[in-house]
Amino acid sequence: MEHWFVFSETEMSAIGLSFKVALWCAVLVLPIAVLMGWWLARKTFRGKSLIEGFINLPLVLPPVATGFILLLLLGTKGLIGHWLNELLGIRIAFTYYAAVIASMIVSFPLAVRAIRLSIEMVDPGFEEAAKTLGASTFQSFVRVTLPLALPGIISGFVLSFARSLGEFGATIIFAGNISGETQTIPLALFNQIQMPGMESSAFRLLLVAVLFSFLAMAFSEYLVKKLHKRN
Amino acid sequence: MHALSAHLKRSKGDFSLDIEVDFIQGITGIFGPSGAGKTTLMHLLVGLEKPDEGFLKIEETTMVDTFKNIYEPARNRKVGYVFQEGRLFPHMNVRKNLLFAAKYIPNGKQVIEFTELVNLLELNNLLEKRPKQLSGGEKQRVAIGRALLSSPKLLLMDEPFSSLDVKLRRQIIPYLIKINRKFNIPMLVVSHDLPDLLSLTRELFLLKNGRVLGHGNYLDLIEQENMLDVMRGAGLMNVIQFKVEAHDKKNGLTILSNKDASEEIRIEREMVLDCCQIGDEMNVSLRPEDIALTLEEIPNISIRNQLPGTIVKVIQKENRNYCLVDVGFKLLISITHASLLKMELSEGKKVWCLFKSMALQTNT
Repeated sequence: MEHWFVFSETEMSAIGLSFKVALWCAVLVLPIAVLMGWWLARKTFRGKSLIEGFINLPLVLPPVATGFILLLLLGTKGLIGHWLNELLGIRIAFTYYAAVIASMIVSFPLAVRAIRLSIEMVDPGFEEAAKTLGASTFQSFVRVTLPLALPGIISGFVLSFARSLGEFGATIIFAGNISGETQTIPLALFNQIQMPGMESSAFRLLLVAVLFSFLAMAFSEYLVKKLHKRN
Repeated sequence: MHALSAHLKRSKGDFSLDIEVDFIQGITGIFGPSGAGKTTLMHLLVGLEKPDEGFLKIEETTMVDTFKNIYEPARNRKVGYVFQEGRLFPHMNVRKNLLFAAKYIPNGKQVIEFTELVNLLELNNLLEKRPKQLSGGEKQRVAIGRALLSSPKLLLMDEPFSSLDVKLRRQIIPYLIKINRKFNIPMLVVSHDLPDLLSLTRELFLLKNGRVLGHGNYLDLIEQENMLDVMRGAGLMNVIQFKVEAHDKKNGLTILSNKDASEEIRIEREMVLDCCQIGDEMNVSLRPEDIALTLEEIPNISIRNQLPGTIVKVIQKENRNYCLVDVGFKLLISITHASLLKMELSEGKKVWCLFKSMALQTNT
């Protein structure tokens, strides 16, 4: 009988990796999502709905399909990937970076949606006021729009963090299931469930997954509430 | 030197605006009914909308010239703009709102000092508050202060009275006059409320359907027939500047004098304690309907103010009749057609203008 609450090395590495991938994913997605959210909230232009549709694609596409597309693009023999490999010697697919990229792609639409909505809620009149006081478009965005949209931006960050924790389909196709390199909690869980006699390991990972997701959501709720109070 | 000169054109759907404005100093009012294009004009001046055609100069700097492809964005124009709704940043306290523009002004280029402005607008107790904790009048003062601290070359105000109730309007006016005098900043004030506007200035631009109908002194404008139509609905008003001469406590009266006139004119006003001190300048407004005309002085009557003068102009418009009488300054008086005929009133005739002390309203 193994010890129920002692984490094995594989489990520990999956937990650590999950956390690292999710954090990097959220950190990298955030600035792009803020820019895109602002752009979609404030600008009207031809082909806007086409761009929106494209951004939201990973939301409805089966993650496995997203992973496959990534592989076709960035795989060693992929459209872009073979150039990276031949010219720069960079290999992305089936590495840690692939896990981060897969997470970023699937969580990007969620982050953009939350951020865009919160920017839309900010009266553009405040930006106009800032401009008449001498601020550039960028300065008025940073000093006025961004702080007013902060609750939405935080929830965008947390959503992409949480989505990354749960990412499975795209990762397993594009990054593989390599222990210590790309095997995050969901992938490790998938492995353990398939193997006979690993129920306790699966159960431990399950607990951690639930705990992580719950903490992320609670933290975001707390921050948003605090901000609402402040404003 | 012009504080501002512009000729701007802009069409939006059915509406087209084609306006020439220029003014030098002091406070200039822009008056017109809603839909006249007042806010559009403000937006063009401040840089929130682009004109289809035209130019804009502030002091001697060209900010817009569509023929030379010049277009300075709002932030470079040095035009302070007080929005109708204030638009204070809700995530900043009053102090941070006021200091928002400070970052964009080079050291030493700050024209108005923070402490001085805070004292003038009486914002000391509000500095740590958030905009949502302020009353309408306080918000307005902060918005004015914030615009002034951007060291503007001129100050534009869009309907500064509309979000305030009558009592607060009376309170904001003295601040505006003080600002204009103290900092010597030309001000352009937009309003659809003529009496409020007149308590600030008599220099007006009259706007209707996106065009300037006329500009100049209010009373000169009234003499031009088509102007009266635009202004009548808004409440015509006499606004005269007086100096407080004395308080007659025994009779409950304040004695006011007007020294702009060739000889000193004294009128009496019902005394309101603490309203003013001797030597104060104040604007007094008087409705044209509250003045009566007689052909001679009437000794035994309760009406205390009786001023002799000469009719400068009789204006007859549909069923309304007005006399413009020079009593040393010009007074607009509303009378009935019957009286006009019965008293045989015509230009050049000597008359007495009678009004009760109680009919005088003070703003400052």
